[in-house]
Amino acid sequence: MAGRGTAQRPNGAGAAGKICQFKLVLLGESAVGKSSLVLRFVKGQFHEYQESTIGAAFLTQTVCLDDLTVKFEIWDTAGQERYHSLAPMYYRGAQAAIVVYDITTQDTFSRAKTWVKELQRQASPNIVIALAGNKADLANGRMVEFDEAQAYSEENGLLFMETSAKTAMNVNDIFLAIAKKLPKNDQAGGGAVGQGGSGSRRLDEGGAGSQGSTGKCCK
Amino acid sequence: MEFFPLGNAELGIRTFLTSVHANDQCGSDGLPLTPNSIKVFGRFQQLKDITHPNLCRYVDIARGKHERLIVVQEHYKTSLATEANSGIYSCISTVIRLAYQILQGIDHLNRQGLVHRCLSPKAILIDGVGCAKLTNFGLYTMTDYGTSVDFPIGSPSYLAPEVLASGRLPATLQLLSSPKTDVWSLGVILLELLLGIELWSKLNMASMLKQVICLLQSHEPVQDIAHSHGVLEKLKNVPSSLLDLLTKCLTVKANSRPYPSDLLQHPVFAEEQLAKVPSINGLHLFTGKLRCRKLELPPVNDLLAEGEEAEDMPTDYLAERGMDEVYYLWSLAGGDLENELSKRGMIKKKPPIFMQPNVVLQNGEPFGQEAHRSNTLDETVVCLSLDTLKDRLKEVHPSIYFPLLEELKPVLPMSPSMSDLSATATLPLIIREKDIEYQLHRVVLFKRLLEGYPYKRSQIWREARVDIPPLVRPYVWATLLDIEGDVRACYDAIDKRTATATDRQIEVDIPRCHQYNELLSSPESHGKFKRVLKAWVISHPQYVYWQGLDSLCASFIYLNFNDEALAYACMTNFINKYLHKFFMKDNAAVIQEYLAVFSHMIAFHDPDVSNHLDTIGFIPELYAIPWFLTMYAHVFPLHKIFHLWDTLLLGDSSLPLFIGVAILKQLRTNLLSFGFNECILVFSDLPEIDMEKCVQASIHFFRSTPKSATFRQHARPKTKGEKSGEGRALYTKDALPLADSEGERCAPVSARDLFEPWCGSRPPRPPPADPPPARSTIQHPARPGALPVLVIDVRLSEDYLRGTVPGAVNIPFASAFSPDGGLVSSSAVSQLYAHRGRLVVVVGNRGNHAAQFAGELVAIGFSKVCVLHNGLDALKSTGLMSVPRPEI
Repeated sequence: MAGRGTAQRPNGAGAAGKICQFKLVLLGESAVGKSSLVLRFVKGQFHEYQESTIGAAFLTQTVCLDDLTVKFEIWDTAGQERYHSLAPMYYRGAQAAIVVYDITTQDTFSRAKTWVKELQRQASPNIVIALAGNKADLANGRMVEFDEAQAYSEENGLLFMETSAKTAMNVNDIFLAIAKKLPKNDQAGGGAVGQGGSGSRRLDEGGAGSQGSTGKCCK
Repeated sequence: MEFFPLGNAELGIRTFLTSVHANDQCGSDGLPLTPNSIKVFGRFQQLKDITHPNLCRYVDIARGKHERLIVVQEHYKTSLATEANSGIYSCISTVIRLAYQILQGIDHLNRQGLVHRCLSPKAILIDGVGCAKLTNFGLYTMTDYGTSVDFPIGSPSYLAPEVLASGRLPATLQLLSSPKTDVWSLGVILLELLLGIELWSKLNMASMLKQVICLLQSHEPVQDIAHSHGVLEKLKNVPSSLLDLLTKCLTVKANSRPYPSDLLQHPVFAEEQLAKVPSINGLHLFTGKLRCRKLELPPVNDLLAEGEEAEDMPTDYLAERGMDEVYYLWSLAGGDLENELSKRGMIKKKPPIFMQPNVVLQNGEPFGQEAHRSNTLDETVVCLSLDTLKDRLKEVHPSIYFPLLEELKPVLPMSPSMSDLSATATLPLIIREKDIEYQLHRVVLFKRLLEGYPYKRSQIWREARVDIPPLVRPYVWATLLDIEGDVRACYDAIDKRTATATDRQIEVDIPRCHQYNELLSSPESHGKFKRVLKAWVISHPQYVYWQGLDSLCASFIYLNFNDEALAYACMTNFINKYLHKFFMKDNAAVIQEYLAVFSHMIAFHDPDVSNHLDTIGFIPELYAIPWFLTMYAHVFPLHKIFHLWDTLLLGDSSLPLFIGVAILKQLRTNLLSFGFNECILVFSDLPEIDMEKCVQASIHFFRSTPKSATFRQHARPKTKGEKSGEGRALYTKDALPLADSEGERCAPVSARDLFEPWCGSRPPRPPPADPPPARSTIQHPARPGALPVLVIDVRLSEDYLRGTVPGAVNIPFASAFSPDGGLVSSSAVSQLYAHRGRLVVVVGNRGNHAAQFAGELVAIGFSKVCVLHNGLDALKSTGLMSVPRPEI
């Protein structure tokens, strides 16, 4: 689809001090519960009949980590394979990604592995990747073993949790774990705060260094 | 569309409760189980299509609180139960006729795959002319063969032994009843009539059941039953052929009992078969059936007789309208089904404080209050009173019921209430849709027009521009989408079963698509979704399934719930018209072009918003893909989509762009003050949009935009039937390279648009009705010369003086702007400022000076700026250029 541009927020000067902003993207096969995870994390809600996502949706949520405030700018992407061409627009320049699969479907786990590979190859080198085995409340229909996913995550250096957007199990925890793992050393410099997490380096990668031209100059 | 007048029928309602799932129970997919009432609601819909002279029509179903369902059906006050002892049935031939009518009704049900299963004298109504009409025949089917309800289905004394024998089993474990069970019931009913008694009436339930089941041992059940009631001698009066029919009906072994269709051939019906009148199937649109079958004039004598009567008897015009129409109007007149039941004490409301449980477990299971489900089935039928409705319509002039379609200038019919109606037409849509008189007028008019489709196509278009009454929306949409031919045959020929690679995707999308709607969340509808989507994917090999197609499909399924073929045909034509190439496997180019044109349109109509969004990098790619890919069906709830598409369908494939601009315009104040994050949050969770305003605004934008400004290379090429470019390729924007329009702020227009008025003549909009309907309030300029266009030639003044577009002013690009970005003042510039807000076309040479200039104009807030495509070079050979008049 329309593959141009980067969904990177070109920030103005940020607030002072202890606020870090991170761009986080959710990836995974459709109907594994990406939107539900975000909805649970951001609004504390769960909709049984969560609508499918077309293109992408955007939400923000702030979490407190000791004396630090971490603001997540979350891009929730469409799961259908066809929307794949849009994905780079969203994960380009992201500091964190949650790759989601559904523990009751083996295929979604294979798809998750593909996403992880793609992120490792194409996204920012320092990106923090978490793997979420969602729908843990349906454990009696489990098709993906916890140990298998955990072993895979260890091999690839991923954060791993089984989550349930429905019961809220591990939802906040996985976001918090990501927040903890994200590098925050750059944040000391006030100017970098607004530039999202680890600062201008990532924006350069995205090619969207200057405001106004964000949408057009990178391919 | 079928037309069955109310006649002397009444609308009766009956109610029952479905069984309730245990609290918090989930299916294997983790989703809560579909409530039984929703399931029944979906299964009910097919019943609305069952029409037969011996069957009462189902009109509607509604869900109430606590899993209550209320069913509306054609009803008559007299039934076989009330008439049995009136003496009419002492005549053998009347009984035979009755039996024949009942069998025909049952046979028709069987042909639709239905079994009555609760046939009893109460379920056989007798209409005004003594014709039998079966009622309540859908209960067994709509309750999924009794599995969705806690009560058993059928009157025990009329149930066949094989049904009673399995009676102790839960409904889910019972075998499905065959059509033969109804044959037994018919046998019992006939026997009762002939014997003149009610069978087993003196026994309690247990002994009655025992007696019937004991018949399984009997070799001559008819005689045995008569014997046990001590009326054996009465059988002697029964003619042998009828007795044979009875014996066949009351065959205890279901295997050897005949089917209803077999019985229709029984010799006892020889006379009835001869007198049988073929039933009229009503008017079917969009099928291969001949419509003229209905066109049979009554004999002249009858006409004369009626004419004489009519003089002294006021005709009940409402009774001549369709049942669905009368019910629709009854609802508009304040009718409320639940309220009707409460009035009769059939729903007893307890104050909530008395409903509190004593103990609640941690999992939410309540204890200590008996479930408030005393009446899971109430056999009472409540008739809806039409008095209020008739009272509200008593002022309506008869001409409203019989609109003339052939007048050159259609006007609202004159009547005492005429002033109301023409005033109503200007009121907001929401009010018009609730106005009984207005809706009556519109529905009657539309039904007449639809009967004349496709001959009346242009008039349907004209009326649709005023508004579309919700009752006829499915058919009006189909006509607006130019559906013709035998859609059913086309649809039936498509393989919807073979598994394909997209099945999984379709299956995960459907249970998430507009599920707040009770109809679309029913399992019945999920099946329809799946079949229609699969049919579309498989018959369009050049396209693939993209998420979003499900949303697109939803409104067609909802509107044509009983006609998948029509839903499919509408969806196909809709996609062809508005989403040409959008569902290609690689649609990047198509969508990019669409979004580029959308950006142009934002800049054209609202430069401030365009400038702001550009500054914060908020590109349409981030928010507008779901808008256009689903034509807003993924963004809005169904009721809003209906109103939006009512208008969308009247425009061409560029109208959706203007709807997008109109949405931005409505959110304008917020957008202008928001940064990137806030903006995207607004679109992730779109605030309430005033649909009528949005629609009006988009029509306004549509009309004030040169046609070629929305040219898209990937748009559907015009078919032969549509207006073509009349071969003037020079003027059209054929083959505009994509790279050209991308990256530029302003839309390019063709030379044709510069010289010719674009407004008013855009196909496929027919000329406005006279007097102008509510929507065509924007008048178009009468003469081409009167168009308020300012042409700015940005070439060097030497070039300009050698020849330019007539009336153009010269602002050479090189010296146009001061370093701070403002325009350097000159007389031409002041002309430009004076012209602000009207169309500005920037012309230049092939280079991109014109585009740059136009972009700068947008940046300083000029709206309606566009660029001449291909520059003045395109005009050089035409002789249309002239030497400008020297400045004074």
